[in-house]
Amino acid sequence: MSQATNNSTIKGARLIDSAANVDTTEDIHIVDGIISSKPATDSQVIDATGMVLSPGFVDLYARLREPGLTRKGTLKSECHAALAAGFTTLLCSPDTHPVIDSTATVELIRQRAQQGGGARVIPLAALTTELEGQRLSEIATLRDAGCVGASQADQPIADTSVLLSAMEYAATFDIPLLLTARDPQIGGAGCAHAGAVATRLGLPGIPAATETIGLARLIELCRDTGCRLHISRLSTARGVEQIAAAKQAGLSITADVGIHHLFFTEKHINGFDVNFHSSVPFRSERDRDALRTGVTDGTIDAICSDHAPHDTDAKLAPFPSSAPGLSAFDVFLPLLMQLPALLDTPLSKILAAVSTNPSRILASDKVASTLAVGETANLILFDPTTPVQCSSAKLLSQGSNTPFLDCDNADIHLESGLPFSGKAHTAWVRGEPTTLSQ
Amino acid sequence: MKQNDPQFNRFGNLHHFLTLDGLDKQTLTGILDAAENFTSVNDKSIKNVPLLRGKTVANLFFENSTRTRTAFELAAKRLSADILNIDLVSSSTKKGESLLDTLRVLESLQCDMFIVRHSDSGAAHFIAEHVAPTINVVNGGDGQHSHPTQGMLDMFTIRRHKGEFENLRVVIIGDIKHSRVARSGISALKTLGAAEIRVVAPNTLIPEYVEELGVKVYSQLEVALKDADVIMGLRLQNERMNSATVPSMGEFFRTYGLTEDRLKLAKPDAIVMHPGPTNRGVEIAANVADGKQAVILEQVNYGIAVRMAVLSITMGHGEAVREAEMAGTT
Repeated sequence: MSQATNNSTIKGARLIDSAANVDTTEDIHIVDGIISSKPATDSQVIDATGMVLSPGFVDLYARLREPGLTRKGTLKSECHAALAAGFTTLLCSPDTHPVIDSTATVELIRQRAQQGGGARVIPLAALTTELEGQRLSEIATLRDAGCVGASQADQPIADTSVLLSAMEYAATFDIPLLLTARDPQIGGAGCAHAGAVATRLGLPGIPAATETIGLARLIELCRDTGCRLHISRLSTARGVEQIAAAKQAGLSITADVGIHHLFFTEKHINGFDVNFHSSVPFRSERDRDALRTGVTDGTIDAICSDHAPHDTDAKLAPFPSSAPGLSAFDVFLPLLMQLPALLDTPLSKILAAVSTNPSRILASDKVASTLAVGETANLILFDPTTPVQCSSAKLLSQGSNTPFLDCDNADIHLESGLPFSGKAHTAWVRGEPTTLSQ
Repeated sequence: MKQNDPQFNRFGNLHHFLTLDGLDKQTLTGILDAAENFTSVNDKSIKNVPLLRGKTVANLFFENSTRTRTAFELAAKRLSADILNIDLVSSSTKKGESLLDTLRVLESLQCDMFIVRHSDSGAAHFIAEHVAPTINVVNGGDGQHSHPTQGMLDMFTIRRHKGEFENLRVVIIGDIKHSRVARSGISALKTLGAAEIRVVAPNTLIPEYVEELGVKVYSQLEVALKDADVIMGLRLQNERMNSATVPSMGEFFRTYGLTEDRLKLAKPDAIVMHPGPTNRGVEIAANVADGKQAVILEQVNYGIAVRMAVLSITMGHGEAVREAEMAGTT
């Protein structure tokens, strides 16, 4: 990746910024890192005919693994991989070692991320210390140190009184909570959706009820506390209905879905394929279709990567003992580019789900997502039609745990009949361009 | 189907024996026929045949087992193979050694076959996927997934008593949810064409969408037993009793225990099977377990012949691969 000159003129790109109702083909300029209507004299011209320019994507859930788990990924490797996926801003999950429950860890991540380059990292604070679900972390202090929200990663708070208290406290400071809906007991020992496939394979199941009960608990406490609640990584049809009803009732609730959950179902784990072992399991076709509809009708606001890079050893084990999660960055853009056709939805709506909507959910000036003239350039320019092959030689993430790795025909897994294409050309992060087209 | 099934080698021969799910009727019948031939060996005073002389079979048991391990050991010995019993329950894996590391070490001991028992569903598949291509893997039970040699010895027992499968009504009682024996049995019975498979248990022991395996679910034992030809009991593990799954041994026996009176609801010539060890007074009344309709000890005996069949069939094909590779025809 080479650094271009800082001033650019992007010619012929389709500009899409759904928050501002923009979907037009015209030239745009970046001067001294600022989006501008006029070019600088030394502007480098990028012929972007056929390409799309969007506000940089904002990932609401990614595991970057540093500190502590650098055999799986580093801030440097994952932030560069994220950029090629279109993300200029990443919310990193707090389940690092140590957990993100102190300002020292936040500061460490900030420094390492800055040294490493690539996408900008904003940590999510652990809502409870060590994510143990017992004592609250200093979330107001952590917010001031740079966290935009708090999360429990994959560990639900077991004690409902602690959860109530955490939501009351977060509401005091208007700190958004990004929580995954899960009952702390049901399905805790499971590794696959409790359905026909898990039954045949004898895999301990994770019933849909773990999400619906977890969600009911969160929704009721949100109603009582008035906290800003974002449901991270929805997986069930019933869950989508619950979110729709909560929104209807006027609660300040938003939701996202992991990109892979819009494609995969329980059927993909046939043959004990560990690449499809995910902490939020792939569920039935009906669930997947409801998630797709949720994205189309806006019940689901955002699409996240749920990126979970692993070292090779972590996946070299029988299915139940293999580490859950899929590395997503290296395939995110080609998957995303299938969605307009697959969901029969305009590209602008899909891009909103990964850029302007996450920005709106966080409502923080740290994660502004816009094409507006006068703003700092956090942009992604990509060609939606460039075919992608996910080969081990070209992987950017340290995690090679994706079913698409060295797969001649991605459609074996997707069965969409659509091209697997979409490649980033240039990303601007805080006005600084990075060329990604090599 | 064979092309995508990891159990078959590229010549279409059964190379590993991991699950009965996906094996066709011809393959299953072939194993039963071979086992039939071996039963005559077991009845002779000199019980050995030299089919696997010079071969080394390793019993890799990551989970406690005496009965299954002994049955495999005896089967291998009667085929004249050398057998290595490696107790992995208390050793390497407890020291943090990965399953794959353990396998690599055992591979270097030049074994020809691994018989594997492991508490993870899919463990045998995983091992088959990662061992050297000349090694055969036989599943001795993986988690709640599959116990294919038990499934085959059950089929063998049924065929010996009932002849054909087509008209049979089979009832499986008890912990279907956590049972690899039940899954293997259901799969084989479907393939061999059993007329009807019924499962009966409290809902806590019935897995989700079990109907999709081709069975009918009953909650009342008396109803399920009506006109049954074959009754299969399952062992209720201690940890399921006195828990949120089953309130007590007493209540389980009262509602789902196979008693003489209940047995009368089945056909008069119905056979009673159980993979053992039985919990008398929990799944089955003592007088039924010892009664004239019970074939539980026969199952144990047939287990040797069936395992001899599985070992010789899979290993025989292993030999073909080795020869082909040595001749450079790969």
